[in-house]
Parts: sequence; C-alpha cells; structure tokens
Amino acid sequence: MGSTRRTLVLFLVLSFAHLLLMSVQMQTRSGLPLFQAGAFSVFAAIQRVMAGVSDVVRSGWSNYVALRGVAAQNDALQKQVLSLEGQVQTQAAIVSQTRALEQLLNLQQNLVASTLAARVIAGDPAPGAFVITIDRGSADGVEPNMAVLGHVGVIGRVINRPTAYAAQVQLLIGHNAGAGGVTEFSEAVGPVKGGAGDPPLEMAYVDLLKDVRVGERVLTSGLDGIFPRGFVIGTIERVVKGSGEYSEIAVRPAVDFSNISVVLVMLARPARAEGGS
Amino acid sequence: MKFGRVLVTVLVALTLQLALARYAVGGRWVFDLVLVAVVYGALLWGPAAGMWIGTLGGLMQDALSEDVIGVGGFAKTVVGFGVGGLGLQFLVARPLARASVVAVATVLHRLIVVGLWATADQEWKGVAWTVLLMETGLNAAAGLAAFHLTQMLPGVIQHTRAGCRSPLSRRRW
Repeated sequence: MGSTRRTLVLFLVLSFAHLLLMSVQMQTRSGLPLFQAGAFSVFAAIQRVMAGVSDVVRSGWSNYVALRGVAAQNDALQKQVLSLEGQVQTQAAIVSQTRALEQLLNLQQNLVASTLAARVIAGDPAPGAFVITIDRGSADGVEPNMAVLGHVGVIGRVINRPTAYAAQVQLLIGHNAGAGGVTEFSEAVGPVKGGAGDPPLEMAYVDLLKDVRVGERVLTSGLDGIFPRGFVIGTIERVVKGSGEYSEIAVRPAVDFSNISVVLVMLARPARAEGGS
Repeated sequence: MKFGRVLVTVLVALTLQLALARYAVGGRWVFDLVLVAVVYGALLWGPAAGMWIGTLGGLMQDALSEDVIGVGGFAKTVVGFGVGGLGLQFLVARPLARASVVAVATVLHRLIVVGLWATADQEWKGVAWTVLLMETGLNAAAGLAAFHLTQMLPGVIQHTRAGCRSPLSRRRW
C-alpha cells in the first residue's frame, strides 16, 4: 500500500516537473542550452568511439571478407569513370565560357565556397527528430547555420553550437527545417519546408499564376542566407492549384536521406541576396 | 529499485539508439530503443524504475533532438508508470507477452507525443500510421530479443562456467 502511494507520488511529481519544463520553453520558445550542450558533448564522445569501432568492423568485412564480384564491379566502375571524365570536361568548358561571359558583363563571380567532408557518427536520437551528428566541429571551423550538402543535393544545416569535434545537423525533411527555393525553369520562388508527409518537402507561397510543372527541379534560391544559390533540393511531384492565392507544391528530395554516411559542410556562408527575405 | 542499473539501462539504450539510427537516417526504419528500455525496466523492476528510465532517457532524447525538452520525457514517464502498474497487476512473464506490451506502449507513447505537439503548435498534424506500424513492429522485435536474452543469459553463463571447469575440479578428492 505504502509502495503504491510512493509510486503514485513519484509519478505526479515527475509529470508535474515535465509539464513545468515544457510550459517554460513554450513561453520563451527556447530550449535549455546548458543541458542540451552537456548531453550533446557526452553522447558525441561516446558516438565517436562507437562509430570508430563499427567502421573498423565494417571495413574489415568489406575489405577482406566480402570481396566476391569486385573484379566485375571494377570493370563497370572504370567505364563509369571514363564517362564521368567526359562529363567533367564538358562542364569545365561550360564554366570557362560562363566566367568569360561574367567578365564581359562585369558581374561578380559566384565563387564556390570551400567545403569540408564529414562522417555521420550518430542518427536520430528519437524517431522523427531528423537530426544527425557529424564528426567535425568547431576545431574544424564548423559553425551554426552552415549548409550541409550531399553528393546530389541539399541535406540540411548545422544547428546548435558544435563541440570541438562534433556537430548536429538538422535534416531538411525535419518538421522545423526549411530552405529558400526556386524552381528551375518557371523561376517561382518560395520557402521549401520539411515535415510534410509523403513526399516530405512542401514548397509554400508560390503564386498561382506561375506555370510550375511536375518534374521540374527545385533549387536553392540563396535568399535564406544559409544555402548558396543553385544547389538541388528536389523534384516537384505534385502541384495542386486550389482556390487560395498560392499553389500547393509537393517536392521529393534529391537526397536519399535513408542512406547518408558522408556529407559536405560549406565552410563559408553566402551573402544574403539582394532583396531577399 | 537500484539507481545504478537504471542509469546503465538508459546509457546503453541511448547509445544503441544513436549508433543504429546512423544506418537508418531519414525515417525508413523507425525504432525507439529508449522506449523499449522503459518497458523492460518497468516490467522487470517495477513502475518506479520504469518512470526513472523514462524521465532520464526521454529528457536526454529531447536534449539531443531539436524539440521542446520534456515532451519525450513526459510521454516515457507515463508509459513507465502505466506498464509498471500493469506488471504489478498481471503476470507478464513470457517474452512474447512482454513484446506485445512493448507494441502497445509504442502506440500509447506516439499518441501522447503527437497530442503534446498538437497542443504546443495548436494544430493537429495527424498520425503517420505506416511509420507508427513500422516503429511498433521494430520496437516489439527489439523487446522480444531483449527479454529472450534476459531469460537465456543466466542459463548460458551457468552452462559456460560448467563447461570451462576442468574435469579434475568435479571430482572430490
């Protein structure tokens, strides 16, 4: 009887403490920085070790045990490299032509910012959080709000203050995430927000009059001051022109978020575009 | 209730969650090993242990996510209390029955979290049922494995010890 009462009192005390904690944050709209920083630095250190151990096991398996079929794969990759080299040369030619045109028109050149490769060392702490941890931090020059890219498109941005050797990245598909977007051909501009279900991205505030089409790519607009202009966000999968002022646009992300192991952190942030908001 | 084992359970569950979720980023495979640990602690050690694992584990998860701190903690505390109470009232001893409790707890936990988010945002975004189904299945499977291991481990250790003993030691001289 006494034990039951003690348990009930403990439940009420813990529940009340949680509700108090939540209500404080909902009023101030901010977390508990010290608690967050402490928890993150402890678990980042543990995850670095865990990731190191699992990578050793994986590399042992893939480098020594699972080598069947590598010769055939090597042949296929060599052919792919040849084809890609051709594409690189074509792209280089286009870049040099563009630079020449920019010089002719006296435009400011869009310099490609330096990037830093980082390994993912931890995944979602809770289902639906859409936050990952990478093994680069303030010692490598990583700062909050830096853009994080994959090899085919935008992944997200650095959130919170990184520790010396780890940083948290909020994925673009998370329910609080977003990026400034622009459609490739119709040039409709609007924020692309995560957490929209299937597909997980939604482009908002696009004028009904814009001729946005299914299959068109959505690129970063550079208006958010985080992501440089021109990186691929995804492809338009659905356009619904309702009775309101704006179209409802569903965007399928270019990046396969279920398979991220290495990312690129953009070490310089782009200057906010003129007239951007 | 021993607080040391509560802490160890939380740390192991959270470390495993972060390490395994690294290979399942983006929501194709959704699981919550901290919730499994809450049910595990509540059924094996009682409601107080379940609540403490829920509180500590949930708060840690909230701190590592970009969410309001306390949402996960509250939901897991309620689950710990409920499952612990259930464990006191009914005999839930078989691993399969305990895994079913994990499945029910997963649904309850998700509904509490979605309800709290809806209250905070003042907007009901609905429940992603396919994701919930995936989470329920994976959590139940993880629970089944954990409870099976717990049941098997003492026997395996005893068997290994008996096997390691030299034949001479068995004889009485």
